[in-house]
Amino acid sequence: MKPENAIEVHNLEKSFKVYYDKGSTFKEKVLFTKRNRYEVRHVLRGISFEVKKGEAIGLIGHNGCGKSTTLKLLTRIIYPDSGTIEMAGRVASLIELGAGFHPDMSGRENIYINAAIFGLTKKEIDARLNDIIAFSELEEFIDNPVRTYSSGMYMRLAFAVAINVDADILLVDEILAVGDAGFQAKCFNKMREIKGSGTTIVIVSHALNQIEQICDRSIWIHEGVIKAEGLPRDVDPLYMIYMSSRASGNAQAVELARAADAAKGGYNRAEDKNRWGSGEVIMTSVTCYNDKGEDVRAFASNESCNIEIKYNAVYKIEDTVIGLAVYRDDNSHVYGTNTLIDTSEPVVLEGDGTAVLKIKRLPLNEGVYKIDFELHKPDGFDYDFWKEALRITVSNPHQEAGIISLEHEWTID
Amino acid sequence: MKKAKELYAYREMIASLVKRELRGRYKGAVLGFLWNFLNPLLQLIVYTLVFSVIMRAGIEKYYIFLFVALVPWIFFSSALTGGSSCILANQDLVKKIYFPREVLPIAHTTATFVNMLLSFVVVFAVLIVTGFGINPVACLFLPIIMIVEYVICLGMCMIFSALTVYVRDMQNIMAIVAMAWQFLTPVMYGQQMVEGALANHPLMMTIWNYNPTTPLINAYRQILYYKEIPDMHYIGMALLLGIVVCIIGWAVFEKLQKGFAEEL
Repeated sequence: MKPENAIEVHNLEKSFKVYYDKGSTFKEKVLFTKRNRYEVRHVLRGISFEVKKGEAIGLIGHNGCGKSTTLKLLTRIIYPDSGTIEMAGRVASLIELGAGFHPDMSGRENIYINAAIFGLTKKEIDARLNDIIAFSELEEFIDNPVRTYSSGMYMRLAFAVAINVDADILLVDEILAVGDAGFQAKCFNKMREIKGSGTTIVIVSHALNQIEQICDRSIWIHEGVIKAEGLPRDVDPLYMIYMSSRASGNAQAVELARAADAAKGGYNRAEDKNRWGSGEVIMTSVTCYNDKGEDVRAFASNESCNIEIKYNAVYKIEDTVIGLAVYRDDNSHVYGTNTLIDTSEPVVLEGDGTAVLKIKRLPLNEGVYKIDFELHKPDGFDYDFWKEALRITVSNPHQEAGIISLEHEWTID
Repeated sequence: MKKAKELYAYREMIASLVKRELRGRYKGAVLGFLWNFLNPLLQLIVYTLVFSVIMRAGIEKYYIFLFVALVPWIFFSSALTGGSSCILANQDLVKKIYFPREVLPIAHTTATFVNMLLSFVVVFAVLIVTGFGINPVACLFLPIIMIVEYVICLGMCMIFSALTVYVRDMQNIMAIVAMAWQFLTPVMYGQQMVEGALANHPLMMTIWNYNPTTPLINAYRQILYYKEIPDMHYIGMALLLGIVVCIIGWAVFEKLQKGFAEEL
């Protein structure tokens, strides 16, 4: 194993026997041999990858592609048919939260039981106890039996234990669905903090935006093999294009409508590498204006900026989220928001229309900025994603450093 | 060696599972933890009433004769019957999280072992209070016997807990086996009775003596009932057998444990 690697996976293969009607008692095994017919399903057909220490990777792919199996193999819950897995350091998994919780015991006692299952000693748990309780926000209830907890409280406690294990490698399966929005944000920040402290992270998720925010690399697993691997910003779009081509539903109708648009001399989305999505509603144009109302791409720092998105919906769509993300040209994520974050209600779009976002000031330093726009469902399913739809240059006469320009003032006595 | 190191790292998990099993058993009961003592004491009272009033056995102080053998026997039989389902009972853990699987049989055997120790507190109290008395020198051998029994139980628990995952009938089979085994071991009767009956069948006597629980139970009785230093020759044999069972158990467990998560 190379010293700089935390995980090395070589040529992993795994198949499961899927029984048609499984008998597990002796009688059934002997008398009904026919019932023991099974089908061998090859879930993984040779997967190899390496993860460096401190790196975060995301495993993506549609349901049943083998990404969760890969994660289970990494946790050593199941074992591969062939191939090897090597890992360096303590492994913790956020796969099953609250394993071993005893409903009649108090929150505090359960912290000890649960943390012990992660392989912590009494001393190590004592040292973390206060952090765990504080993170779970359950100070008042910590000595009550866990059966009196609400499901949200239960998950908060479980998550607090799991995330405070201080593992070298953290394996995560769709975690950030814990608790209310506030707690989710907290979990997310904690994940970033953990990553910052040098922990290696492997995430399985359908929420690509989470992967893009945390991971350095995406691995797309398809039918048991790695189909693509690279920066999330490069790999995730490929996956999304594949997924939207698979999503049948209204696909045909949408395709016809969009083809008609293209025939009329309109803009052909399908040929643009930077666009993907199912197309029920699309952005027909995205422009930005300065405070004089001029359509420009060059702004001064702290100037105002109005962004106008024109859209067209094939039919009435009641669950749209309009979002944008700003990146500097070195791919640092500068800012992101969407209508769901700002109003917590999905937007209803029908026919043709315009959405305007007014930004009072651009507190940016000198540089080139790229803006991605997205129309999607609240669960992340893309109607239309437009990568780098706008490129703007910002000039700042002051020689300030960093991405943003903080409003500031010196006082010197 | 690596496994031993890993198990040592997981010692807190073993401890907390033992605690959970001991405390969880009587949780919610008004008398709580006290039941761990009350249960053997009440059993002893029942046996005393039955065997000294209704069914008079030909053995002096039969209730003590029986009880000093029954307590260690209960440890053995619950390691066998309860132990065979200890992985099934924790399938939520096994399916969803990694830990060395040996933790489960170790924790179960240890919990039943601690249970036996608590029962022995009652045994000693009865021996002293009734004036039956104890031989302190002979009692020094008691821990050795207990450790030998623990090793045998652990080996058994590993084999049958792993097999039960694949063949669920094992739990029911083990319940019957444990009962039959009890009658094949001098728990309710003494070794002398067997020696008398099998006096003309030396081969059967040899086979009889290969039963690892026979020398064990006899040793408990020798120490506590006859107040004698136990026959170390038999104990050595039992220990040897225990180590063999333990190694086989560990090997079987190691082989079978890889499929646990898929079978459950």
